[in-house]
Parts: sequence; structure tokens; C-alpha cells
Amino acid sequence: MLLNPAPPRDPAARGRLSGALLALVILWPLFRAAEFKPGALFDSSNLKVIGHFLAGFLPPERGAEFLAYLGKATLETLAIATAGLALACVIAVPLGYLATAAGREQPTLNPLTRSLLTVLRGIPELVWALLFVRIFGLGPAAGVLALGLTYGGMLAKVYAEILESVDPAPAHALRRSGAGRPLAILYGLLPQASKELASYTVYRWECAIRASVVMGFVGAGGLGQLMDQAMKMLNGGEAASILLTFMLLVFAADGISGWLRRALDTPPAARASPFGWRSISFLLVLPSAVIASFHWLEIDFGELFTAGAAHSIGEFVAGFLPPDLSSDWLARVGLGIWETLAISVVGTLLAAASGLLLALPKWRAPFSFLLNTLRSVPELVWATITALAVGLGPFAGALALALHTTGVLGRLYAEALDNAPAAPGHALRLAGAPAGLSFLYGTLPGAAPQLIAYTLYRWEMNIRMAAILGFVGAGGLGQLLYFELSLFHHAQASTVIIAMLILSIAVDQTSAWLRQRLR
Amino acid sequence: MSFALDGVGLTHANGFTALSGITLRANKGERIALIGPSGAGKTSLLSVLGTALAPTAGVAEILDFGQNLRLTAGLKALRPRIGTIHQAPPIPGRQRVVTAVLAGRLGQWPAWKSLASLLYPLDVAGARATLERLDLADKLFARCDQLSGGQLQRVGIARVLYQQAELILADEPVSALDPALALATVRQLAADAEARGATLVASLHAVDLALNCFPRIVGIKAGRIAFDLPAGEVSEALLHDLYASEGQTLPTLANEPRFTTLAAANDPATRAACC
Repeated sequence: MLLNPAPPRDPAARGRLSGALLALVILWPLFRAAEFKPGALFDSSNLKVIGHFLAGFLPPERGAEFLAYLGKATLETLAIATAGLALACVIAVPLGYLATAAGREQPTLNPLTRSLLTVLRGIPELVWALLFVRIFGLGPAAGVLALGLTYGGMLAKVYAEILESVDPAPAHALRRSGAGRPLAILYGLLPQASKELASYTVYRWECAIRASVVMGFVGAGGLGQLMDQAMKMLNGGEAASILLTFMLLVFAADGISGWLRRALDTPPAARASPFGWRSISFLLVLPSAVIASFHWLEIDFGELFTAGAAHSIGEFVAGFLPPDLSSDWLARVGLGIWETLAISVVGTLLAAASGLLLALPKWRAPFSFLLNTLRSVPELVWATITALAVGLGPFAGALALALHTTGVLGRLYAEALDNAPAAPGHALRLAGAPAGLSFLYGTLPGAAPQLIAYTLYRWEMNIRMAAILGFVGAGGLGQLLYFELSLFHHAQASTVIIAMLILSIAVDQTSAWLRQRLR
Repeated sequence: MSFALDGVGLTHANGFTALSGITLRANKGERIALIGPSGAGKTSLLSVLGTALAPTAGVAEILDFGQNLRLTAGLKALRPRIGTIHQAPPIPGRQRVVTAVLAGRLGQWPAWKSLASLLYPLDVAGARATLERLDLADKLFARCDQLSGGQLQRVGIARVLYQQAELILADEPVSALDPALALATVRQLAADAEARGATLVASLHAVDLALNCFPRIVGIKAGRIAFDLPAGEVSEALLHDLYASEGQTLPTLANEPRFTTLAAANDPATRAACC
């Protein structure tokens, strides 16, 4: 080049600028709708209220009578979670198999299975539970069925995606040499995916334990009901004991997950049978735990299949039809959709920011304890606390989502940053770059796709949770639904349920599109 | 003086001794090639010079900074003056070439500039001029995961050229390049060092490339210096002795006709034409 022409403009700049402006234009009204005012957190009168409330948490209640209740409730919660998850697996394995493209030579969209999964996942477990209560009456059966259906849909989707994300070559090779699709998956894909599948299943079990708070609403018993009573009577000591139990259960779930992953990593002994003491004891414990759970809860699913039950289900469902489509009501539902969307977006964004901050420090121990604590408190319990801190309304819901999600995302981020290649950041530090900048230029780009994917997946979960948070007064669709259901306005309620379904489908699609774009 | 190692040894935590009794000095502006069989300790020696590893024995003085390399305040000022070309380019795949090159000056730029540069590259002209010297200007705005292995290796070199370090350390900088490109690239590195009076230390796999482009050759074997001679005085017998563990043929640039024999490679006319 003879002349030195003016340096070229960065061709990506225009896209970045318009992307940032677009994000601002979309996010600004969402933050407004969520009534985002962090100042309320530091308002002195609010601080006093929350201080009083939290001071009441100490000391945790340790009376023998209460501890006996607590023990029984814990067993009930474990039983509901285990039974619900067992049902979910029964649903998820075949549906996941049908939905996944893994092991297929021609990828199919399988619209029927996929839309069935979308409906199962798109309606929050609380809504399913409230519907089943009308059929089974108050009690654990409604809770177990609700967990089974919702988590069945979630597990099936995630199983399908995990199987699609591993290297497909071994399964293709097996199919080309004549193996059928199930065997190709078992021999070619499962060995690669088993750890992911196991830890996601245990994580879902942990979520099912937390969901018992939701189940408390339908009188399913367990820790949720106990928590509800404690909060209503403002008995902080009891609430603290229950929260500590939640923490213990979550830490235990973590331990089981780690144990399973390690067990799956251990090379098998040099003999024909692949089963060691671990797998044999696991295979003994698992079915007996499931059977014991169903037995303990005294659920009789036979009831579900009698003519009388079919009739009452039919009558009940018919009561929801047709949905109320008057323009007045649609406008209110539209407002509810907007508010729910705002809660989920603001909550997820706040959690992403604080989760990243908590994932950064090198010395992990205190931070992973903090993250686990944030995670082990269910969103609905956080919502009752944040409602005291900033008053009832969408901002309390967004904060509650943010607190719980920070715990989840912070942990996932820390793992992703740990797995990101270390060489680029190290090389920059050797060239004299400060630690923060070597992170931004060297480490973060390697981990970013993973971080973005986790955040968007979490958003998909949070839109469902945001829809429920209204039940404790955090605004949005949940509040509308709770109100209409308690007045037996079924036509209006069914509009809200349809709106929840549409909203969660829309968020799933947006999230998938964003993941594709930002890869 | 650019650096002085005096009796430097390096023993890893697992007890493996990578270097022992290394005494090596270089004046400002010298160009040194490190050759030797794989596992001889070339990379370890470059790591000590680059302050990545502190020697476990002896004294290392690098760019007038020495004695105690663990002093972090001093290291902060020292490291921007040292540029290291790594064997595997340490660049995230999702980063754009322009950002990867500009990252060379993170140690010199104020923090606000480095941060702003993530949003809009602040020295597009400088990055492009550097890439032009390596024949990569057309990849300025490409993403690194779209590049071939050889192109990515040259982006790693461009980053260090852009850094304008006083001491350039290169660990097998052209291992992924074809012979013609390898030669051109090493010439660029040498020319850059010469023009700026910077010191260049490169470990090279191809003996002919080392002999052609570097005035001073240091042979490393089993963690020790086997010889330290001007390129003209390196005899074939010395080389065969150095690579005794790797068989009869010496490692050279693959079948590059100009360098089929070492004699031709060591010919003063070729040397003049080359560097």
C-alpha cells in the first residue's frame, strides 16, 4: 500500500450501537413496569420493619414439640419431592426420547411431542396443583401430580437438549452399522451425557423440595405449610428453623449430586459386571425410596381412573370454557403479562450482575456458602421478606427472583469461569495487564457463551416463577389468577392460564433466538 | 544489558529439574536463537526470562530488574516491557482479531482506555499496520475462531509486535506455518527487534531457520547450556551431538530447497539475503 489511507471504521460498531439502543428502549419500560426503585431498600422505616422481622428470626426455634413437627414435615416434603420426581421421570424419559434429535439420521421437529412438552412446562406447577385440588381435594396427591407433570415437561426438554449437545458421531456410527435408535443412544450417547443427566435430575429433585412451599398452598403438608403458618403468625424463630432445614436439604442434594458425578467418573473394576457396591446400593435405595414415598403419602392413583373422577374432571374443565375474552378483561390480562415479563427480566438481570460479582473472587469458600444460602431459600419465601422490605408490588417480586437466582447463577458462573481456558488471561498478565483487564480480554470471552446460555435458561424458569409470585402479592398474572380462582371466576382464570402459557412459549422462543444470535 | 542469568536452576514442585546452572547474558538488541531437542528446557528458560516462573536457584536479572522477582510492585512495571509469543496462541476464539492485537498494550494503556476499547477498538490504524506486516490486514475484523492455525499464530505474533516490548521472547513462534511463511515471519520479528533495538530470544525447532536469521545460537540439552556461539561457528558435529537423542537427521524447515544442506544455509550470502 503506497498511501496510508484513513483507518477503516469498525464494521461491527453500527450493529453494537443499535443493539445497545434497542436493549435500552426495551429495558427502560420494563424497569419502569417493575417499579424498580432500589432506594426503597434503604428507606429508614422499611429498614426498621425488616430489621425487626429478621431480629425475630433469632434464636431459631428448638422446642422438642416443634422439632417433632419439623421432622415430620421434612419427611413429608422429601416424600412429595421424591414421588413427584419419580412421576416426572416416567413422563420425561419417553417424551424426551421422542422429542430429541439425538440418534436420528434425519432431524425431525416432532411438533406433537414438543407442543405437549411446552404445555406441560408452560403452566406453572402451582396452577396444576390448584386444578388437581378440585379433583382430589386438599392433600399431597394434587401436589405430586402437579410436580410430576411440570417437572416431567422440564426434564424431557432438558434431557433432549443434553443428548443433542454431546458428540453425535458415536451414535451415528452405531446406527450405520445396524443398531436401532434406542441402542445407539444407550451405547453411543449415554456414556457421554450420564453425568449431566444425573446432576440435572438431582437438581430438579432439589427444586421439587423447594416447590413444597408452593405445595403448602394446596394443603399438601410438608415444610411449605409449616412455613406458611410460621410467616402468618410472624413467628420468626420457627421460620428460621424451617429455613435452616431447607439449607440442610439443599446442601444434602449438592452432596448427592457430587457423589453421583464422582461415582460415574470412577473407572469400573476389572470384571464382567459393571455394577460395584455403589451402583448396587443406589439401585436398592432408589426404588425403595420411591415406593416408601408413595406409601407414606397414601396416594391412590386408582381414583384418577374411575368413571366418577373422569366425570368431575370433565365438568371442572368445562367450567373453564369458554375463556373470558371481553376487551376489558383482555386489557387487564395484557397489563398482567407486561408486569410479569418485567418482574422476570429485571429479576434475572439483577441476578446476573450480582451472580457474576459473587462468582469472581478467587477464594471460593465464603462465597459459595453465601450463594448456596441464597439458593436454598425458595422464591416465594424471599418474596414475603422482600415485600416487607420494599412493600407489596412488582419490585418485591423482582427482588425475590433476583435473590434466589443470584444463588443459582453465581454457582453456575463460577463453574463456567473455572472451566474456561486459563491460558489467554495468564498470557495477558505476563504482558503486564492488570488482573481485571486480563479477565475482560482473556478469560471472559472464553466463558461468555456459557454464561449467556445459563442466564437465558434461567430467564425461561423465572418467567414461570414470576407468574406465581403474584400469589403472595407481587403483582402480575399470578395476582389476577389467585384473585379470580378464589372467587370461582373460572372463565376469567382460564384466560389468565392461557396468557401464562403464551408468555412462557414466547419467552422460550426469544431465549432460543438470543442464544443463537449471541453465540 | 538486557538480561543476565547467573547459575539459574528451576526445579518443579514435583521434583523434576527443568533447568540447572544456566548462566546467560544478553546485551540490548541482541538476537538469540535457542535450539535443542524437545524436552531440553527451552520453554522453561523462556518462562524464567518472561517472569512466568521464578528460578529456584541462582539469580535472574531481567531488564535491570532482578534479585527478587516476587516483588509484585516491580513486576507490574517490568512485565509490559516483556513480550512473549506463546507456542499455542493464547487468544479466546470468540475475540476479534483487532481486539486480540490491541490487548498487547493492556499493560501500558490506562484502564479507561482498555475498557473503552472493548466497546469500540481505539487504535484500529495501529492494529492494521501491525497486521499488514504479517500479511493479515484483511483479517482485521474477523473473529479468531474463523482463522486457520497458522493465521492465529501470526495474530499472536502481531499482538507482541504491537506491544513494542524491549525484550521479545518467542516460543516456537512459527511451528504452525509453512516454510516460506515461517521464514518471512521470523524475518519480520528480527527486523522489528533490530529497528527498535529490542532484544529477541526465540526457541526454534528448525535449525536452518535459527542459523539463518539469528547471529547468536544457544544450544540447550537436558536443562543445561550445551553451547553458546555465533551462528557462523556452529558446526554440524555440534548440532548432531545436540540432537543425538532424536536420530541422524537434523530438524529443518520441511524440504525448503534453499536450505537442503546446512552448508548452504550457513553460507554468508544466504544469511545476508535472509536477514
